[in-house]
Amino acid sequence: MKKIIALLLATVMLLALVACTAPEEETDFKVGAIYINSKSDTAGYTYAHHNGITTAMKQLNLDTEKQLFIVDNVPEDKQQVLAAIDTLVGEGVNMIFGISFGYIDAMEEAATKYPDVIFSHATGYKSNDTNFNNYFGRAYQARYLSGIAAGLKSLEIGNNNVGYVAAYGTEYAETASGINGFALGVQAVNPDAQVYVKNLGAWAHEKNEKAFAEALINDFGCGIIAQHCDSAQPQIVAQDKKVYGCGYNSDMTPDAPKAHLTAAIWHWDVYYKTAMQAAMDCESADKFVEKMGTSAYYGGLKENFVDVSPLSENCAANTDKAIEAVRKLIVDGEWDVFSGAKLTIDKDGNVEKANAALVDNKGNVIVAAGGASVEDGVITGTMDYFVEGVTEVK
Amino acid sequence: MGFHVVKRDKCPVWMRISLYLAAIVLAFLIGALMLLVIGVDPLAYYNKMLTMGTVGNRYAHMAVMNYINEFLPLVLTAVALSLAFKMRFWNIGGEGQFIMGALSASFVALKLGPSLPMPLTLVLMCLLAMLVSGLYGLIAGALKVRFGTNETLMTLMLNYIALYILMFFGDTKADWNFFLQTESTRPVFQSFSDIVSFPLIPIGKNFKLNSCLLLTLIIGVLVYVYIKRTKHGYEINVVGDSTGTAHYAGMKVNWIVLRTVFISAALIGLAAAFKVGTAGVLSTSITNDVGWTGIIVAWLAQLNTGMIFVVSALITVLQFGSTIAASTFAQVDSSFANMLQGIILFLVLAADFFIRFRIVRIKKGGSENG
Repeated sequence: MKKIIALLLATVMLLALVACTAPEEETDFKVGAIYINSKSDTAGYTYAHHNGITTAMKQLNLDTEKQLFIVDNVPEDKQQVLAAIDTLVGEGVNMIFGISFGYIDAMEEAATKYPDVIFSHATGYKSNDTNFNNYFGRAYQARYLSGIAAGLKSLEIGNNNVGYVAAYGTEYAETASGINGFALGVQAVNPDAQVYVKNLGAWAHEKNEKAFAEALINDFGCGIIAQHCDSAQPQIVAQDKKVYGCGYNSDMTPDAPKAHLTAAIWHWDVYYKTAMQAAMDCESADKFVEKMGTSAYYGGLKENFVDVSPLSENCAANTDKAIEAVRKLIVDGEWDVFSGAKLTIDKDGNVEKANAALVDNKGNVIVAAGGASVEDGVITGTMDYFVEGVTEVK
Repeated sequence: MGFHVVKRDKCPVWMRISLYLAAIVLAFLIGALMLLVIGVDPLAYYNKMLTMGTVGNRYAHMAVMNYINEFLPLVLTAVALSLAFKMRFWNIGGEGQFIMGALSASFVALKLGPSLPMPLTLVLMCLLAMLVSGLYGLIAGALKVRFGTNETLMTLMLNYIALYILMFFGDTKADWNFFLQTESTRPVFQSFSDIVSFPLIPIGKNFKLNSCLLLTLIIGVLVYVYIKRTKHGYEINVVGDSTGTAHYAGMKVNWIVLRTVFISAALIGLAAAFKVGTAGVLSTSITNDVGWTGIIVAWLAQLNTGMIFVVSALITVLQFGSTIAASTFAQVDSSFANMLQGIILFLVLAADFFIRFRIVRIKKGGSENG
């Protein structure tokens, strides 16, 4: 009897061993990631990144089950982030993506501690010359395009008041540049437009996202609601109140089919694919930044890193024509949003460029007419003003 | 026809152990079933979880160090809570007391750390954290003693006050706010790890032992002696059993309550000082829920100091091991790990119920035990 059991056990173990030695992957490259929310989320920020990472891995023929290691629900707590990094490094990953801003110090420390692992940090500003970079995108370019759609719609409905539900206002360059980019897009079409911003004071606050959108419509008579916040609530409110809106992060047309025009969106997979490819091409981790060409990846429309979601049927006539024309100007490097040149777009979607100063809403000249673009460092780090035509309201 | 819950007079040790074991086995079986449903090999998962990924890992020493860092605040908080619980003072305010301690210790580290010698800074961090946390705990204690308020509600609500104070400091960019970094445009807590940190004792080539572990063990022994061998400990037990008896015996009940609540909260403050003194930086999730988990630990260990160390060690294996296991299985996220922990705790508590009580069928014409 004992022999039989022993034999059975041996067989089971053998099978287990066979199961372990599955066919060799094409490469043994391993990706690690640290998420602020759950990897099984079905919407929102973590979902967008997880989707980007898995999409990029599939394109690169990497196995998302065996070559991807994720520690999720990691709060912005240095000790916990460092522990997550130790765990991932222990699993033998070659590179680690951290998607939340507050991971910044832990990732900086770990990049020194583990020089043979590549660290890549979303939305941060720290980096080194070897194995640690950060990445973010020119969302303001996509916002400008969505602003064009909003501007054309505002002319069609004859309402110059545009609302904007924002996570923050001038406190963060990320939100300020988004609001400014959008407003300039609106004004290119409708110079009389006013953008009213309501500041949530939080990156996500679903209840207030709804309440603020309602207030912008009821108290400020806004006919279009744009947003920089996590949920689709502002778009849903716009639909309920029979006005229009521009979403963010994902195509929100399914959420509000009668209201939504187009959303500024991210193609995170574009960066993830570029970064993973660069990492696989490096002979050692310390060559990563050199391979990427920069320690601060900042892709835009040109790289297809940011974009607008497909235009819905709610868009005014010629929206597509105007957006494509402006996209071409930006992609070709002929023009950028925060520069000393302004675009004028007519109802037929014709675009004209002319020199004009970029002025903030207090009358200060930011860029003189004909001047060069505001520097990237300002757009990502220190932009703390609104352009003219933007008003933050209580 | 019906059932009746009857208190057991005595539960033999073998039965106790087998009931607990049965609960754990059952919990793991339920977990295994769920893992199978989502297509994960339960053996591989449990193996990874229970070994905390240390097998075949050249950074296993890091895993052990991280394990100890997660274990320490939990065990010290649970020991502290057990003091109050022995007196039947339901201190649900561990989270809040921990936060106040963490803020106080960080205050010392950031304000005095740069100018004072490190050992002195560390001692001051511990003392201020204990004082502030102790006083914070005393709020609920004093209200109970003076006005007969419910300490469960009071300590619970004080948790949120502390949390919002911490979040206020963590969110508010201002010149006066020394808790935040000045160079970052977004609010990020200022790190003090290069100024002050509890010493790490090198053992072997890579492993460094957090000196707080030794301190925590010493405190554990002291608390054990305090409860078992001192007049104070005796008083706590008597007050816990019956305040009436304590009064009758001439004990100053109010004073005993206040003293014990202060010590309980102060020890939680010390746990917080150990935590920030190891992490070297605050965060809004600095407590890692020890104020809550500590309650479960204290109860599972039946307020026995030695058992609190054992239970804390096991719970930390569950928590820490689950995160590590979840990282290697695409289908399992850390929420699943939390759920599994929940099942285990629930069943162990259920076993605890059957150790204390038994269920008998009510016979016709009356019940067995009246």
